[in-house]
Amino acid sequence: MCASPLRLLRAGPPPPRVAILSDALFFTRAVPIAPGSSAPEVVGQVELAVEALAPFPLAQLYYGYFWSPGSERALVYASYRRRFTAEQTAAWSGVEWVLPAFATLLGAEMAPATTVLLATDLTLTAIHWAGGPVPTVVLTRLLPPEVTAEARLALRDELLRAVGESRTIVDLTEPPLPQPARTDREVVFASGEFRSRLPLSALTTLDVRDRGDLAAARRARARDVFLWRILMGSAAACALLLLCELALAGGGLWQKARLLKVNAQSPVVGRIMQEQELANRITELSTRRLLPLEMISIVASKKPPAIQFLRATTSGLVTLNVDAQTNNAAEIGTFKTALEALPECERVEVHLQGSRDSLTPFTLTVTFRPTALKPMAPPPAS
Amino acid sequence: MIRTLRALFLARLFREKLLLTGLAVICVLVWFSSLAGQGARFVHNVYVTTAALRDQTLWLANRAAIDTAAQTAASRLEASRTIDSIHLLSEVQAMATEAGLRNVNIGDTQDVSNGQFAVHTLMLTATKTDWATITAFYVALRQRSPYIGIEQFGLLADKGNPSLLNANLRISSVEIVRN
Repeated sequence: MCASPLRLLRAGPPPPRVAILSDALFFTRAVPIAPGSSAPEVVGQVELAVEALAPFPLAQLYYGYFWSPGSERALVYASYRRRFTAEQTAAWSGVEWVLPAFATLLGAEMAPATTVLLATDLTLTAIHWAGGPVPTVVLTRLLPPEVTAEARLALRDELLRAVGESRTIVDLTEPPLPQPARTDREVVFASGEFRSRLPLSALTTLDVRDRGDLAAARRARARDVFLWRILMGSAAACALLLLCELALAGGGLWQKARLLKVNAQSPVVGRIMQEQELANRITELSTRRLLPLEMISIVASKKPPAIQFLRATTSGLVTLNVDAQTNNAAEIGTFKTALEALPECERVEVHLQGSRDSLTPFTLTVTFRPTALKPMAPPPAS
Repeated sequence: MIRTLRALFLARLFREKLLLTGLAVICVLVWFSSLAGQGARFVHNVYVTTAALRDQTLWLANRAAIDTAAQTAASRLEASRTIDSIHLLSEVQAMATEAGLRNVNIGDTQDVSNGQFAVHTLMLTATKTDWATITAFYVALRQRSPYIGIEQFGLLADKGNPSLLNANLRISSVEIVRN
């Protein structure tokens, strides 16, 4: 159970799914292409040529072509659609490319005057390159059943004569098969030692299927690749998250060590803080004295008669908070002004707390100048 | 291997590809959400611990200075005249009685000590008294300064009889622990 997926992964990527059609089903021609034509212009020229060559309209043909940029000819091939059964065409929906057998060999780099002979059980095809990347002639002959070696040889010689003078002849006895893909940009076909590399741009024109179906297949492919990229992105994100988890785990250990240090130092620091508090309190007790009655006396000395003190509390050494009330709110301002005029007072703040039953409660916060406060004289001994 | 996996993925049905991709994206989102929470907590903890360590370093660096400050503060006091918690309570009680304070309530003493010095604190509440009595008690306390001091003072008019006063005092004493 476990070994099977591993073996699958070790086996490497599978070859692309290609439907290779019999050469005998197609007629082929090399048609001239206007010099300097672009790829879209070549499409128009090829379609015109196929329409001119074929007895059927384009809509009733499966056709494709091979053209190399800069080349002044294209190899076109076509077949009447009814030569293919519904079962055959239905099987094409599951494959990536559909092309005749000879088309798989067009990606090879061939010297001028080279002929490749592709033999299958049923056909013998000659592909002749006079010069340039586009073949000049492709001829296919059907082999009779139970053909003898002599008859096969005679057919071969006839094909070689028909294609023209050949300086190099390559005999292929194995059917060309797609090789495991290393990249999406090309498909490699191999027949024995012979290799043909067809780039994606060439494959799209070699495919004989309906152009609308091809466009839909390309869109589906692009969508699938997009999903694959999302999946890969997710996998990369998972790897990154795993790294972050590891970093967090490492950071947790570091943080734990720091917390141990904090906890170890806490009692010592606590003692130092207590010592600091003690030092402050001893300093305050021994050098700075709270003089609450003196502060109250100073504030009371300016109190208008209508103001009644309710509560006085100290805050720190030099601040007195007085809760008071009055039935004459105007006197609060007078009182504040009078206090501010005192040399002992540094700051006076009044917080009004609304008004109830003609009484106005308020809080007075008086901050004294530390050096201005003088201890009151002790009462004379009685 | 990636090419193999890619080919296997692309060979699946569209709904299978969609399901696999969706599951992968959901996994990433859930994981990220969890990790983000952990990360935020970690960063907060690191920040808090860093601040604590910085504070501790500061305190430890100032240890000698604080010790010196405490020694200096204590050196202003005469060890034999410093007052422990028992004497603080008894002296304050005596001064209150002498000043004529009635309705006096004295709370428990609280002690803070570092082994060498101690500060003892008590809360005193006197109700229904008058200004002159409070002044007498205050003057008496002040005469024991700096060994006894007032740290906080509050005075409020009595609700039943506004001519009388209620006083709250926090009184402290310093003790130099004799070895």
